[in-house]
Amino acid sequence: MRLVNPLNENAPVAASLAPRLSRLEGMTIALLDISKPGGNIFLDRVEHRLLNERRVAAVIRVTKPTFAKPAPPESLEKIRHADGVIEALAD
Amino acid sequence: MPTLRLLAILQTDCPTCRLITPYLNALAAQSIPVSAISQDGEDSTREFMRQMDVRFPVERDPGFDLARRFNVVTVPTLYVLDEQDRIVRTEPGFDKLALNEIAALFGQLPVASAHDGAPESKPGCTSRHLEAHTGDAGAAALDLYSTRGKAASVIDLADGEDPFEYCYRAFGDALPVVPPTIERVEQALRAAGDRDRREVIARIPPCYGEATLEKIAANAVMAGCRPEMMRVLIPLTRAVADERFNAHGMQATTHFAAPLVVVNGPVRHELGFHFRQNVFSNVARSNSTLGRALQLILVNIGGARPSAIDMSALGNPGKFSFCIAENEEENPWEPWHVERGLARDQSAVSLVTCEAPHGVSEHRSRTARGVLKAIAYALSTVWSYRSCLGAEALVVLCPEHVRTIHRDGFRKRDVREFLFANAGVPVRCYADPEPFEGADQRTMYKEITIDGEPCYQKFRSPESIQIVVAGGTAGKFSAVLGSWLTGPRGSQMVTYPV
Repeated sequence: MRLVNPLNENAPVAASLAPRLSRLEGMTIALLDISKPGGNIFLDRVEHRLLNERRVAAVIRVTKPTFAKPAPPESLEKIRHADGVIEALAD
Repeated sequence: MPTLRLLAILQTDCPTCRLITPYLNALAAQSIPVSAISQDGEDSTREFMRQMDVRFPVERDPGFDLARRFNVVTVPTLYVLDEQDRIVRTEPGFDKLALNEIAALFGQLPVASAHDGAPESKPGCTSRHLEAHTGDAGAAALDLYSTRGKAASVIDLADGEDPFEYCYRAFGDALPVVPPTIERVEQALRAAGDRDRREVIARIPPCYGEATLEKIAANAVMAGCRPEMMRVLIPLTRAVADERFNAHGMQATTHFAAPLVVVNGPVRHELGFHFRQNVFSNVARSNSTLGRALQLILVNIGGARPSAIDMSALGNPGKFSFCIAENEEENPWEPWHVERGLARDQSAVSLVTCEAPHGVSEHRSRTARGVLKAIAYALSTVWSYRSCLGAEALVVLCPEHVRTIHRDGFRKRDVREFLFANAGVPVRCYADPEPFEGADQRTMYKEITIDGEPCYQKFRSPESIQIVVAGGTAGKFSAVLGSWLTGPRGSQMVTYPV
């Protein structure tokens, strides 16, 4: 019996992990809030600790307009120049 | 005031052009001289005009001379022209504010309301004369634009392999499927007409797999669809990938949301869609297999496999199949697809992200008010009782309730406004000192009085409540279906002509 393949046959685009940071000091870190409840509280605390305890050079705060859709290009553009990103995902 | 006219440049397959067309009809109805130029062929232009019930003259631009002369970049583009055809205003894409400003320019009333379900604005498509022509060679791994996809591969089953067991393992969900043999898929493709089987109808989120005609046909076969169902499944596949519907979010949320298909128009009779008793259940092949084919397409082509990408906390039985048709015969008001901008004799499919139906039994009341009060109480509970303004709802009215409501002189608009005014949550429910969902947004809530009690209004506007008539003529049971997140930041209902 011969069957027509009903699945998506386009290979997924392989994405590799960004290089891991060996230190935080002097780095620019983006904090991405997907706008779920509580994300800002979590990231406020992370920002405080990054600046005061880890001496990062700068923190970029980015908020997605809605958690229900992929990040728009303008949100990604703000993140592009950061050395690392911390994303606050769910509630 | 100089004599002005409005010219729209349109394409028949551009979602934004379809979005703007009912608004152009509304402008034309206010005696604004509206005309349009279609960038497509005669047949597709005629079909577009029929489907969308176009009420203004449309001409064609076969050599794109006009597109070049006006330097059109995007469709739709609206031009306000003076007597010498000089451009007074150019408006590319869809924009409600711009449409209302144009209406005002002609001294007419606004045509685009903030709460009609359409986005505030939406970019258009590239003008036909600037489109890139994509060939077969050199397609990128994730190609989001070409209109011709890869041919489906053929799987040779080893002798002795049980095809049902194979399909159960390799494709589909947790139910058996009909093996998509070459012969069965060919039958479905023949029913789709003389079209390129590699034509990409849509790219299905969240993995954006190419839904070519061939892949749609294979999934239709697996779902048990008769070949003629292709004429409904093709526009439904387009609809589910409409960015306003946001299947990407729906398929990835932990909420209950599943896409409910609502079928309207003559196709109900032509293909045997059931709209009477048991409408939500396992009563008709057409309803069950269309809903199931859509789910298989979402899983097999879109990639939202249950408990892999789809991580819904509790799921939804509608993820096997979720398809009803409207009982237009028992609906004394205009059918839903007419309200959504299509002609009455035009068949249509609509999609709404819904929770499972919540039943409302009301057998004692003899008045419209009494029946609608019972429904308003159920409406107040959608999403979470104390959470207001976020969700919308679909109310499926059974024929017996409809008769009572209609007998008391309620129009559909009156039903909606009554439900809007009576769906609310008592302010006393917010006294709880513990944090709870709905508490943080209270500053945005509107306080109203329901039966003498201060309440927060449940919905944003009467349009947040949609009314469909369905079900059998015995039994006073209606249903309320809460939505997922709605509006431009969530999922918007879509209606496509069949």
